Amino acid sequence: MNQQQTAAKAGHDGEPRIRVRGLGKHYGALEVFKNIDFDVGKREIVAIVGPSGCGKTTLLRCIDGLLPHDTGEILVGDTRVTEPIAGVAMVFQHFGLFPWKTVSENVAYGLRMAGAPKAEIARKVPEFIKLVGLAGFENAFPYQMSGGMQQRCGLARALAVEPNVLLMDEPFAAVDAQTREILQFELLRIWQERPTAMVFVTHSIEEAVLLGHRVIVLKGRPSSIHETIVIDLPEPRTRETLQHPRFAVLRERVWSTLMAEAREAEFVLER
Amino acid sequence: MLNTALRRHAPFWISIAAGIAIWEIAGRSTSQAFMVPFSVTIKALWQLLLTGEFIRQFFDSAELFLTGFMLSLAVGMPLGMLLARVRVLRIGVEPYIMILYATPMVALIPFILSMMGFGFAPKVLVVFLFAVFPVIYNTVEGARSIKPELIEVAQSFRSSEWALWRDVMVPYTLPYAMTGVRQAIGRALVGMIAAEFFLSSTGLGQLIMTASQNFDTAGVFASVLVIALIGVALMRAGLVIEQHFARWRQ
Repeated sequence: MNQQQTAAKAGHDGEPRIRVRGLGKHYGALEVFKNIDFDVGKREIVAIVGPSGCGKTTLLRCIDGLLPHDTGEILVGDTRVTEPIAGVAMVFQHFGLFPWKTVSENVAYGLRMAGAPKAEIARKVPEFIKLVGLAGFENAFPYQMSGGMQQRCGLARALAVEPNVLLMDEPFAAVDAQTREILQFELLRIWQERPTAMVFVTHSIEEAVLLGHRVIVLKGRPSSIHETIVIDLPEPRTRETLQHPRFAVLRERVWSTLMAEAREAEFVLER
Repeated sequence: MLNTALRRHAPFWISIAAGIAIWEIAGRSTSQAFMVPFSVTIKALWQLLLTGEFIRQFFDSAELFLTGFMLSLAVGMPLGMLLARVRVLRIGVEPYIMILYATPMVALIPFILSMMGFGFAPKVLVVFLFAVFPVIYNTVEGARSIKPELIEVAQSFRSSEWALWRDVMVPYTLPYAMTGVRQAIGRALVGMIAAEFFLSSTGLGQLIMTASQNFDTAGVFASVLVIALIGVALMRAGLVIEQHFARWRQ
């Protein structure tokens, strides 16, 4: 009920793109998370934050179909996810570029795997390289580029298949702070141009509040959704968003929720 | 510019010249039945080339070498990658590979002879057995070191198993496999001569055997010199190919 209201408030009418219902996952005897329920609208960014080891990345891999889940179900559109499906693309924390492929070849990779015709690949690859600001680096190898440029390439590869779901696995965690900020606003600009459903996993509270229409806080061991915070900041999100008084309030709100969790986690360890 | 190039390569050429000089002096001061000087070896090589005998035997050996060596690549590389990809297979097959890699293959030649006789096939098998294990071993080690993240990327983009091999396994593994290929070149040459010595006598192996039986030390040296130079050239070529495939590694 609450989630539907949120979706309506954010102006994302219609059916949600992603539906996660009663999701649970074990690694052997270790229960990672349980009872995960949330939706993501067709043009909505949902950020997931939580302490290290809370299973956010595992959750994202389950949504991508890379990992099997044990209980519950994941629906993307009408498709029940049991393996990676078309229309869903992931951006990886460590970029996941193929070091023997150039920027162009890396961006073309997803299209080729999707069986796109050669002419379409030839047309789209330069388009998406330009979109992420890598024009002029078409023939560069990953090792010749900075981390930020590598992740631009990773982003272009995911965007090139024109997914309706983007899964972001701490995509900016491995780049320096300045580059991270630049890439956040680049991502917002690109998302305004080509809005999709997006699940954005991050360690950074600031990043979650800046990008997310909602922020989901995972908590506990096994973890479950502790709180879903609606980020009612004006659209489009830009650099000014950081100065908005509401931004500080929301950041504080997510922070206090997370820190309570962190303190509890510490006690668990001490015992 | 020329000066720097000269200075850089000077130690190399001085060393080669010194080696030839020592060979020449040693040859001249010992009985010709044991040792012949460099100049006589080159003269003998020239004579062999003129008769056409050497060329014929050379191509005989080259055919054997290339057949066995190519076979070892064709089997070793795919098998190595398969073993890296399929864990159960690797655990089952690896002990046999280790045992055969460590086995002195020369010791197996009498067995191969009794099983297969004197044709071309048993000799190819000998070259193959000498060469294939370093290829398998290095390919497995290389393919196993693929980052799981890259496999995950391929899976996330819904790669088929075939495309995973073409786009990920093969390009990643090739530079590692080439290390094994370079080792295999040397071993295949040993296998080639061993097969020509101990199975039906053909090629450069036969040339060496015949010359040796006739106390024609110059003939022996001429053939051995050629084999050594070819070995060096092939390993250099292997290194160039390896570097070509490895150019994406920092």
